[in-house]
Amino acid sequence: MLKLTYRYDQSAVRLVVEGLPDFSSDQGSGVIGILSTWRLQLVGAPELEGKREHLEALLLVVTAYSRHLLSGVARRFGAEQDPVSISPNATGHQLQLRSSQPGVEPLTIQLDDAELADLMRCLDALRLDANVQVAWPSPSLQPLARRDLSESIPAGRRFGAPLLGASALALVAVVAVMVPVQPPSAPPAAEQAVKEALTNAP
Amino acid sequence: MTNATAELSRRGFERLDLLLLTVEALDLNGGEAMLWATQQLGFSDLFPNRVELWKRRCHNPLRRSTRRGVVSGAETEALIRLLCAMADRLYPLLHQLLSSREPEALSQQRWDLLDQRLRDLVAERMNPRRGAVQRMLDPEQSRPLQKQLVLTLALAAGSGGVDRLRASLLDPTP
Repeated sequence: MLKLTYRYDQSAVRLVVEGLPDFSSDQGSGVIGILSTWRLQLVGAPELEGKREHLEALLLVVTAYSRHLLSGVARRFGAEQDPVSISPNATGHQLQLRSSQPGVEPLTIQLDDAELADLMRCLDALRLDANVQVAWPSPSLQPLARRDLSESIPAGRRFGAPLLGASALALVAVVAVMVPVQPPSAPPAAEQAVKEALTNAP
Repeated sequence: MTNATAELSRRGFERLDLLLLTVEALDLNGGEAMLWATQQLGFSDLFPNRVELWKRRCHNPLRRSTRRGVVSGAETEALIRLLCAMADRLYPLLHQLLSSREPEALSQQRWDLLDQRLRDLVAERMNPRRGAVQRMLDPEQSRPLQKQLVLTLALAAGSGGVDRLRASLLDPTP
């Protein structure tokens, strides 16, 4: 059976996938339905290859990370034990890949913004390619929750206005307590009022 | 996937117009190129000429001559697709700006040029009394914002960029 190969190129990234058509799903002869191998070449990094699960994890993690970056939220995606994780650091983005074989140290790759954009474009091209009809996990491309967005705002800006408002309220309350209030004058007694009324009577 | 005909919030539309302004700063013929791209993308009915395109963009509340009313979902979607097409066209330039492998002096010159053009465009078209506009005109504060705009354009380019950008523009105001 003829093995199919598709390649996705950007300036600093090359992604190659190989596989076979899945004739049981009525796919055409030029369509990959069963992914056998994939290779990822990043400039200045060793060539990566792995199973389909690793490519799915890479796709999910990098897509979610890029989606959050667009909203100005830079945070880690992928846990310590996951096959792929990505997190921001001082010089860009740190991609970590962990082998499923025991005793193999995780591979760390440093990406700058341009390389991340290249990688994202290659993964997008693969995910949306009509010639590769593999059931990829669908990345969440929804608006972020207000809670996630507020994490990206510096604490000074996030809490500045409420703190200022609370301080102003407290100050006004203290001033109001300290200023003496004149007690209301007692109303004249009833008898006094009657006398005054009689003496003033014509 | 997000709703392709959803209307943008005020903040979302500000970002969209600012990204289009960044495209104009990156491409000296950006205005003409946008008009050409609207025809290529099949949006001639929505934006038959430059004035109609400009009128939609004037719904940005940060503009000097801002317009009231709401931009329809179809028009917003057309603007998002136009922006992504322009980002795709300018991707090599965006890549040069973002790459740390470029010579530092050359990269600095490119950023300086973008900074000057973008601040000129902002000063010309935006209302300088607004705090957000003042931040864009301040040399100290404008550079991180410009970097975020260029990175946004780079991540919005390509086949999957439209969905990603639309989702981010529909974010709620924090």
